[in-house]
Amino acid sequence: MTTEALDALVLSVRVAVVATLLNATLGIPLAYLLARRAFRGRAIVDLAVTLPLVLPPTVTGYYLIVLLGRRGWLGQPLYAATGWSVAFTWYAAVIAATVMALPLLVRTARAAIESVDRELEKAAYTLGRSEWRTALEVTLPLARNGIVAGLVLAFARALGEFGATLMLAGNIPGKTTTVPLAIYTAVQTGEMGEALVLVLALTALSCAVLVLAGRLGARAA
Amino acid sequence: MSRLSVALRKKLAGFTLDVAWTAGDGVAVLFGPSGAGKTLTLQCLAGLLRPDAGRVVVDDRVFFDGATGVDLPPQARRIGYVFQGYALFTHLTVAANVAFGLRGRPRAERLRRSAEVIERLGLGGLEARYPSELSGGQRQRVALGRALAIDPALLLLDEPLSALDAPLRRALRDELREILAAWGTAAVVVTHDFTEAYRLADRIVVYDGGRVIQAAPRAELLWQPASEAVAGIMGLRNVLHGAVVKATPERIQLRWRGQTLEAVNSPTRSYLPPPDSPLAFFIRPEYVRLIRKDRGAPDPAHHMNLLSGRIVGEADFGTVWSLRLRLDAPGAPAQGDFDLEVEVPHLVYEILEIERDRHWQFSIHRGSIHVLPA
Repeated sequence: MTTEALDALVLSVRVAVVATLLNATLGIPLAYLLARRAFRGRAIVDLAVTLPLVLPPTVTGYYLIVLLGRRGWLGQPLYAATGWSVAFTWYAAVIAATVMALPLLVRTARAAIESVDRELEKAAYTLGRSEWRTALEVTLPLARNGIVAGLVLAFARALGEFGATLMLAGNIPGKTTTVPLAIYTAVQTGEMGEALVLVLALTALSCAVLVLAGRLGARAA
Repeated sequence: MSRLSVALRKKLAGFTLDVAWTAGDGVAVLFGPSGAGKTLTLQCLAGLLRPDAGRVVVDDRVFFDGATGVDLPPQARRIGYVFQGYALFTHLTVAANVAFGLRGRPRAERLRRSAEVIERLGLGGLEARYPSELSGGQRQRVALGRALAIDPALLLLDEPLSALDAPLRRALRDELREILAAWGTAAVVVTHDFTEAYRLADRIVVYDGGRVIQAAPRAELLWQPASEAVAGIMGLRNVLHGAVVKATPERIQLRWRGQTLEAVNSPTRSYLPPPDSPLAFFIRPEYVRLIRKDRGAPDPAHHMNLLSGRIVGEADFGTVWSLRLRLDAPGAPAQGDFDLEVEVPHLVYEILEIERDRHWQFSIHRGSIHVLPA
């Protein structure tokens, strides 16, 4: 395996792990709110979270550039203030992977939370628990299988993200070239051996994640 | 002394709950058909549902008062709620379920209290099991234990036996009665089964269509249902319609199917309808006496309300036979193709050879004809 290939593999895993952690911190509360609370703008939040699932990744990437690029709505003030832009850094790959993976986690976790019997939450209220403690002690533990499944899907999606990453982070070897981008580059330049090594490595990693998730699911059940 | 005073108004789509009742120590049963508002009432008592108006007071603590805006959250009410499907925490052990409401107390006290509850409810040895590993009866006791562990001011039980099979149901009905008596916690039980209501209750509150149509000690309800609607919900048979001949505080004479019957008037409510007004009454099938033919002619002084008729239908219920009698008197029968349902034990059915002999004289004691006030 070449240094470039190894770099791509390490970067991909790093991006996927960070994106999955971000997904967990954002996605699980979001899934809970969508499942259990009626709030203003709920339909819009739901739509915004789900859109990356149906839009072509390049479209999502385009929106991310509009938002975070050097001349973007958020990107420009940030650049003006600090002289730094998130675009074309590995953070951009994390953001792209997070946004693309979020709907998978939120939808799966939300369905799992919705399937928890509300009587159990009511029972917890009569036994003195606040809504917040009830969510932590009753609802989320009971929705655990669905949440774990959602996190696995999110991790796999983050690992394989291509289009949005290319748009926002570019394809800078050793900096933003994740495995899918490296495979694309290798095939374009005729390095089929290098492409095959990366394809096998990504396949093996995905299989390992799925097996691990199966074990976790079996233990939780 | 009333420990519990409830007045609730809650408007929902196509349904309005509007009830007021009180209960003292012991067990109050909310009895009525499904959809009458019984569970809704429990949820309002527990603070899980906010009424539009009304007042809920338990042991002088105001839980809800629509006039002053008091509305304690469920967390602050200290009410034990046993849900219809028990709502056990399936991810927690029996011990953790029972101790769930004890959070915030010192660890030693938590352990002592949950051990005590588990012991008293006969759940010893099951502490480390999960709800999915328990029988229906054990689950019910865990749900009870979880609610009782917090030493509740009031215990609410929603159809506590409906999740169980018939044979277990009967055994657990009596067990539940003993547990409620032993713990001495004021309780409100919801059921749509009259036998269950009668076995468990000190006081029965009859619900129908979001209203209370009678609230009385259980014996009073059994013998003096307040109206035909109550009799219907209790599932009473032989609810009949006649006309008043004469009413005095002691007796009511009535005309039915061309016959004159005499009934005892209720000494407590002395219902005095004017002559010729319509009158509903009921006769319990097991209180109709068939007259033996081998003992000579019936004595009118002894056998009051003497009638005669033919058996036009019968059904075997295992321990009793239900007979459908049609009076000899001309005219349309009162209940489709028969006038009276009569119940006799199997032994009587055999001794009197009812299978062979289909025409009978029978009498009804005046105390067994129960008038239903309009």
